[in-house]
Amino acid sequence: MTSVDFAARVERGSFAVDAQLCVRAGEVVALLGPNGAGKSTVLRAVAGLVAARSGRIAVAGTVVDEPACRVFVPTERRRVGVVFQDHRLFPHQRVLDNVAFGARARGVGRDAARTSARGWLERLGVGELAARRPRALSGGQAQRVALARALASDPAALLLDEPLAALDVQTRADVQGELRTHLADFAGPTLLVTHDPVEALLLANRIVVLEDGHVVQQGAAAEITRRPATPYVARLVGTNLYRGDAEHGVVALDGGGRLVVAGSGTGPVLVSVRPSALTVHLNRPGASSARNTWAATVSSLAALGDRVRMTVTGPPDAAVDVTPAAVAELGLAQGVAIWLAAKAVDVETYPDPGAAVTVAG
Amino acid sequence: MTLVRTRGPRVGAPPRPLLVPAVVGGLFLVLPTLGLVIRAPWRSLGASYRHAHVLDTLRISLVTATEATVVCVLLGIPLATALARSRMPGRRVVRALVMLPLVVPPVVGGVALFLALGRNGYLGRYLDEWFGLALPFTRTGIVIAQAFVAMPFLVVAVEGALRSADAGLDEAAATLGASPWRVFSRVTLPLVLPSVAAGTVLCWARALGEFGATVLFGGNIQGLTRTLPTEVVTVFNAGDESDAVAVSLPLLFVAVVVIAGLGDRWLRQSTAPAS
Repeated sequence: MTSVDFAARVERGSFAVDAQLCVRAGEVVALLGPNGAGKSTVLRAVAGLVAARSGRIAVAGTVVDEPACRVFVPTERRRVGVVFQDHRLFPHQRVLDNVAFGARARGVGRDAARTSARGWLERLGVGELAARRPRALSGGQAQRVALARALASDPAALLLDEPLAALDVQTRADVQGELRTHLADFAGPTLLVTHDPVEALLLANRIVVLEDGHVVQQGAAAEITRRPATPYVARLVGTNLYRGDAEHGVVALDGGGRLVVAGSGTGPVLVSVRPSALTVHLNRPGASSARNTWAATVSSLAALGDRVRMTVTGPPDAAVDVTPAAVAELGLAQGVAIWLAAKAVDVETYPDPGAAVTVAG
Repeated sequence: MTLVRTRGPRVGAPPRPLLVPAVVGGLFLVLPTLGLVIRAPWRSLGASYRHAHVLDTLRISLVTATEATVVCVLLGIPLATALARSRMPGRRVVRALVMLPLVVPPVVGGVALFLALGRNGYLGRYLDEWFGLALPFTRTGIVIAQAFVAMPFLVVAVEGALRSADAGLDEAAATLGASPWRVFSRVTLPLVLPSVAAGTVLCWARALGEFGATVLFGGNIQGLTRTLPTEVVTVFNAGDESDAVAVSLPLLFVAVVVIAGLGDRWLRQSTAPAS
């Protein structure tokens, strides 16, 4: 069983991460969350760079940190390959020796280690950089070398800390595609820390959302996009999220307004509506299949690729995606009064996982 | 010289009232040393050197200063590493104590060494009883006195570099499977090597010029413990001014070489991380 199992509490000053997650062999799990959520702390605890306060961390079936049993395996014996955000290549060594470092540390002879390192550099398409010093590399090159170095150390698990954050936009797009391929080739578990939802969606099989030291949601990318559990996740995936109370197919929203939904559950629920599922009208819509209509005012417009993302004040407030043509034809601008409409079947309702916490706390 | 500009922006230039004391200060530091070179008895220098047994003294100075430097490197680098990287609670106090020889007058250091390692000292007594070792007024004593005074220079340089070094590289090395020793020898130390070199040169220069602690603990025995600085004082006290100048010149020469070699790098190093 070559997985990463994390069920631990890690404290850093007054901040604590208390989370559970598992990454199975061959799986890429993205640990997604805002800055300061504790994502990197989880990664550092798995790598043995910080110690857990309680709980248990296991890598490839070996318990590496369990305070209750006084188990703590030092970093160098955990066999975790880490790609750091700032790459952390050794500036005094050539690229080739950077990549050979792991094998040398395990006692492999210099020539054999270098031969293997050369192979990894070739595999990542940066073989011609072997003789360079790290400071002579571009960001994208350094990122590839850092990945080669981590993979060459024959890790049981791969940990990536914001691997693309230090790159400029163009390089990031290039590296992203390659990284996806290389991660797919890696047989062990991969934990990817990121604050970029697009990166998480593109690179990971599964997403674990961490907020304020706790896992607030986990699942496949499609599941998280459709049913975000917190306002943060909703913002990340770009959908409208409301909290409310459902009764007989109508949800009274906490922030004001009501939405007719397709389900018939009762109690605290979350309601999500995709910005593209909302239609915009200048006058109150007449009889139609849209069960929900409400008056709103345009508060801002922003170009978003080939669409225009419009935010409107309701209640309820919403983000609405329209085409540039619609903006022109309807004369949409800041302060314009409009009507919004949504079909009940486009309004997703699901139990509020945070409701119990809200009541208790 | 762009000390005084006649035209162009004046922002960042030194204000006029500072210029006079600045020039006086500069002359004050430069003129005496310059005088040493100007007043040196260049013609009779050869005779002076034979007369003052300078070659003998020079040899003793070079050898003891080098030995002291080796001791400083072997003990000082581990000490600097412990001070920079360990997380023990009393670290700041220990650092202050270790740096004491840097500010205590060297003669006081000599007295302290005598009390500790002298034949009746609280440690020296046992060295004498158990091993028949006597350190004062021996060449070993000279080395010890020089190392005592010079080691903090090395420790300060290396510790500063280690503290500003990127600990993230050590972490990266550990994740690649390197043991703490391997991390230190392959990553940490190579990265602060420029500072180690600078510290070592400073340490050697300080050991070579050491007088106060050396003369108290090592004495002034011609051909055995008389170093160049001791020789300077001896011939100067004997009223032989030109010999004193002649003996001072090698020390000045070494100083010039050291400053030229280091440039202003060790001065910058205390404020900026070593690259």
